[in-house]
Amino acid sequence: MADAPTREVFWNIRHFWLLYVFFVPVLLSLVFGSWNLARRWRRGRPAERLDNWRERLRGLFRDAVAQEQLRAGDPGAGLFHVLVSVGFVLLFAGTVVVAIHHDLRVPIMQGWFYLIFQSLILDLFGLGAVIGLGIAIWRRYVRRLPRLTHGVWSDGFILGSLMAIMVTGFLVEGIRIVATGDPWAAWSPVGTATGRLLFAAGLRDANAQLLVHRTLWWLHMFLSFAFIAYIPFSKMMHMFTSPAAIFTRNLGNPGKLEPIDLEAMEEGRVLGVRTLTDFTWKDLLDLDACTECGRCQDVCPAYFVGKPLNPKRIILDMQRQMTQEMGRFPWEKGSGEARPIVGTSIDPEAIWSCTTCNACVEACPVEIEHVKKIIDLRRYLVMEEADFPETAQAALQGIEDRGHPFRGTEASRSDWYADLPYVRELSEVGQAEYLYFVGDAVAFNERAQKIARAMAKIMHAAGLDFAVLGGEESSSGDVARRIGNEYLFEMQARQNIETFSRYGVKKIVTTDPHVYHTLRNEYPDYGGRYEVIHHSQLILRLLEEGRLRLAPGALEKVTYHDPCYLGRHNGEYDAPRRVLDALGGERIELARSRERSFCCGAGGGRYFMDDPPGKRINVARAREIAASGAETVCTACPYCLLMLEDGLAAVAAETGGRAVAARDLAELVAEALVAEARDEEALAGGVSS
Amino acid sequence: MQVIVLVWGGGAPTAAARELLGAARRLADATGGFVTAAAMGAAAGAAKALIALGADKVLTLGHETLAQPDGEAYAVAAETACKHVGDGLVLVPGDRLGWEIAPRLAHRLGAGLVTDALELNVEDGRLVAVKPVYGGKARAKMAVRTPSQVVLVRARTQTPAEPDPSRTGVVESLDFSPPPPRVRVVEYRQADAAGAVRLEDAKVVVSGGRGLGGPEPFADLAELARLLGGAVGASLAAVDAGWAPPHMQVGQTGKSVSPDLYIAVGISGASQHIAGMSGSKTIVAINKDPEAPIFRVAHFGVVADYREVLPALIEEVRRIKG
Amino acid sequence: MAVQLKESCGAKVTAVTFGPERAQDVLRRALAMGADEALHVVDEAPGREPAVTARVLAAALRMLGKLDLVLCGRQSGEWDDGQVPGLLAAELGWPYVPFVPRLAAAGDGFRLERESDLGVAVVQAPRGVVVSITNAQDNSPRLPKVRDIMLANRKPIRKVTPVELGVEDALQTSWVEVLDLFVPEVVSRCEFIEGDSGAEKAANLVKKLLERKVI
Repeated sequence: MADAPTREVFWNIRHFWLLYVFFVPVLLSLVFGSWNLARRWRRGRPAERLDNWRERLRGLFRDAVAQEQLRAGDPGAGLFHVLVSVGFVLLFAGTVVVAIHHDLRVPIMQGWFYLIFQSLILDLFGLGAVIGLGIAIWRRYVRRLPRLTHGVWSDGFILGSLMAIMVTGFLVEGIRIVATGDPWAAWSPVGTATGRLLFAAGLRDANAQLLVHRTLWWLHMFLSFAFIAYIPFSKMMHMFTSPAAIFTRNLGNPGKLEPIDLEAMEEGRVLGVRTLTDFTWKDLLDLDACTECGRCQDVCPAYFVGKPLNPKRIILDMQRQMTQEMGRFPWEKGSGEARPIVGTSIDPEAIWSCTTCNACVEACPVEIEHVKKIIDLRRYLVMEEADFPETAQAALQGIEDRGHPFRGTEASRSDWYADLPYVRELSEVGQAEYLYFVGDAVAFNERAQKIARAMAKIMHAAGLDFAVLGGEESSSGDVARRIGNEYLFEMQARQNIETFSRYGVKKIVTTDPHVYHTLRNEYPDYGGRYEVIHHSQLILRLLEEGRLRLAPGALEKVTYHDPCYLGRHNGEYDAPRRVLDALGGERIELARSRERSFCCGAGGGRYFMDDPPGKRINVARAREIAASGAETVCTACPYCLLMLEDGLAAVAAETGGRAVAARDLAELVAEALVAEARDEEALAGGVSS
Repeated sequence: MQVIVLVWGGGAPTAAARELLGAARRLADATGGFVTAAAMGAAAGAAKALIALGADKVLTLGHETLAQPDGEAYAVAAETACKHVGDGLVLVPGDRLGWEIAPRLAHRLGAGLVTDALELNVEDGRLVAVKPVYGGKARAKMAVRTPSQVVLVRARTQTPAEPDPSRTGVVESLDFSPPPPRVRVVEYRQADAAGAVRLEDAKVVVSGGRGLGGPEPFADLAELARLLGGAVGASLAAVDAGWAPPHMQVGQTGKSVSPDLYIAVGISGASQHIAGMSGSKTIVAINKDPEAPIFRVAHFGVVADYREVLPALIEEVRRIKG
Repeated sequence: MAVQLKESCGAKVTAVTFGPERAQDVLRRALAMGADEALHVVDEAPGREPAVTARVLAAALRMLGKLDLVLCGRQSGEWDDGQVPGLLAAELGWPYVPFVPRLAAAGDGFRLERESDLGVAVVQAPRGVVVSITNAQDNSPRLPKVRDIMLANRKPIRKVTPVELGVEDALQTSWVEVLDLFVPEVVSRCEFIEGDSGAEKAANLVKKLLERKVI
């Protein structure tokens, strides 16, 4: 029996039963504190987020256990966090093993299990945790990473006490090993080394060893217990709330907004979100799941140019309001008020600065949905208070009165194809295989009309059976929805769906990612189900099927700007690139591309709102593009095209150089088309100068 | 065709009077008719000049109430004059007073009314007028069926008559009794900003952009605007640079204007600026870059450094208006 | 403006329109913005003459009982006639004040600001006046809240026909005839002004603008 590998539990510790006594309040604190938080979330509105649990479990494993997103986004952070989290999980398991062995009297802590797991693995991962904590401390206090919140004492307390817990743990282990002459010491290399270090440093006297060991053991216990009790009242709660948020995350399209049942509007329930309880419980959970890592802040384009919007602060300020109103510690009830979020915790300017680019949502390692909350706040301001920027009001008024948000234009939807005989209207032909939904941004902007002309030329050259709605087309409603007017959006959606039904529309191709996103993901909620294709995808398909032939070589150095609503919102990064590659030329990849693409600044209705000088998102992006060395930037969205063109002109004016040319993918393809001789004349009529 | 021209204003014929008489004479001559001018208020003093401009007869109506543009008084005066002459075509100046009294006059005479007429012609012996509709995008050709017709004529659309001192005519004074006024003027107030026209309402807008190079040239633009009776605008670039205050910005995120004349000086024509002014009836662009996008929407373009053109332009306009 | 008046001195606001069924959208909007009641004189025929509209509206207004103020827009967004308010005043025998950017209740009537050829005049008008308004900073239409729009959708709109109003004969009136409706030729090519010097270009430009009667 003495030869079986194990160790004496509670060696040298008298009155160890005190541990169990102290454990009770700690456990109460943990449980009660956690329940208190959950109580707060339950005050939110219902949400369907527990469906499809298999998919959710997979996500949980991927992002909470394997911590994929955390590591991918920032490898340094990933390293330390994995070391610390895995280390502590294992050490916790080790403690559980002790409890099973000692309290439940199941003798598992012996033999090979004891040697390999309880000794070796725990020691090595324990050291890993120490290293991880060291890295974290260095990043926060030496490198002072800007995306972290600095100057909060509890952050230091957390790191410090964790480190103290680890260190005392190893010290205790070390002294035991040395004092008991542990025969299995080799299996606990770190502990053994610590013990020998202490011995060498002078801790040789047996009594001294016992005293120090006992003291450190109780210190270690107090620190650990205090820490556990403190968890629900600190950022450490993210251990539970973050996985919860990951589990209940949005499984659908990240940019799809949920409709409001307007007919069911009752007294006492507002449209959108005014106070915290207007949010869903998932939204409130999000507020507690935030670890203050600041990745959202780092990628937010509005924050980048100095606007008042900071996605991290949005979440944390609302969290603070939730604590004030609903309490956090068990003995506080909270003020019990329900104050309007905008005005109390959040500045309206911050709300209106958002372009809904979803960079924050994409970057968040715990799947917090910032944009959805911002839109919910907008919905209340727009629909219940009619309190929102005048420029946005004018855009919405335009949609109501004229069917589009652009002002000062005398154009009509049929202007761009007035001289193109191969563009026919559905009202003439009755039906067509593809409906080309042009969208307002293309139809009413002279520069953007060239996209439509190019696309029409391409579809004609490929022999596609397509038609347009002309004057029967009305705004997709995207702008109305992102600004927050669900009523106007629903009207627009239903109107368009009714038109589509009349013509038996099945396939829709569009050159506008906002239209693509809205028709594909959001129209189904109103009964409109269609196969919606973005023009980059259609062109790629046509090329692959050999229905289009290109004469590559006109492009030299070209770069591609990923539109937010095509890329991040809908996952399409490759089709445009593959088409571009078919055009030849050197394609440069921007530093901030694909999921990390930097918004052009037009989304969320921002195209129609003011920007203070020096805080122009499109200029910031233009600088990045100009610095890449590209001569042409290709994009696949009319808003991006207009914004980047203006931005690049401004940058060129600053630097005095020539502006990088902004072109749409359709324009570049149309120019490179190899046409059959008999089609030359027809196509020549459509070439825009 | 009997044509009656309503004349008001000062002791010398106004531009409106000259234009309406020009049109009246043309219509009367084409139909072998007679032109009567109803000179009301202070305009009675211009009777002789009105004959030289083409009136066969001038009816003068004077009364103290006509010293101010009191709509009710002028409406009664006009009605008196028209009933005195008999059925015919009544031409009303397209100023604020004209807009105010034309409906009432038409109602009292039982006459059909056409407002904002741009062109006047005789077809098949009857009057045909062309007016803008649908915010100016289209034109409607109207004919009036009643024995009397009232037409409110837009300013600066008719060819003015040239005075012919050898012309002779009759001057007759008419009495009329205006009703007691129901609407009383309390005071006249200067328009805001020392007579400056509001940008959104201005008939003429002169805008400056990045090409100006600084805030000082805006003073010249203001002078040109003043001479043309318009307002000054600015592009986003100029506002950003601090050369003009934000409320002067014309564009997608600024003001939307649709004046009769828009002069863009040193403005390149970014899409968001064009969004704010493309509805302008006549667009003039002055820019030294011949490739500037503004020329795509302009009706008249001057490719030159604005410094070479603007001073001469101001002088020329001053000479014309003087 | 009517709603502002209502808020400042407790007026009752009725929105009235004369036109086909779909014209009720305008009334719904007015109700959403704060009008108390709506009256719709239904008539499906398109393009009624101003004289007809004025007669029909006058009859409808007489049916509403005692009125103190009639507010009209300056001109319709379609035909841009600007005749109806003045004709309506003549039908009712009321004074007419056009081009009013601002008004308030004052004394036993209204104090109005109005644009005139001599500048902006402040006038005092009695109760029983027809006013046509023009744009100003403070009378921009306030955006109705969606909740108000939805509530307004449920409010009843009173409907009458011209026959019920006793003005059926007015519908036969045809004083003005539309002979043609056309879109004028739009010159979209930019004419570049010639000249050897800036001064010469300026002079030529002015000549062109005079020809076009723009200055």
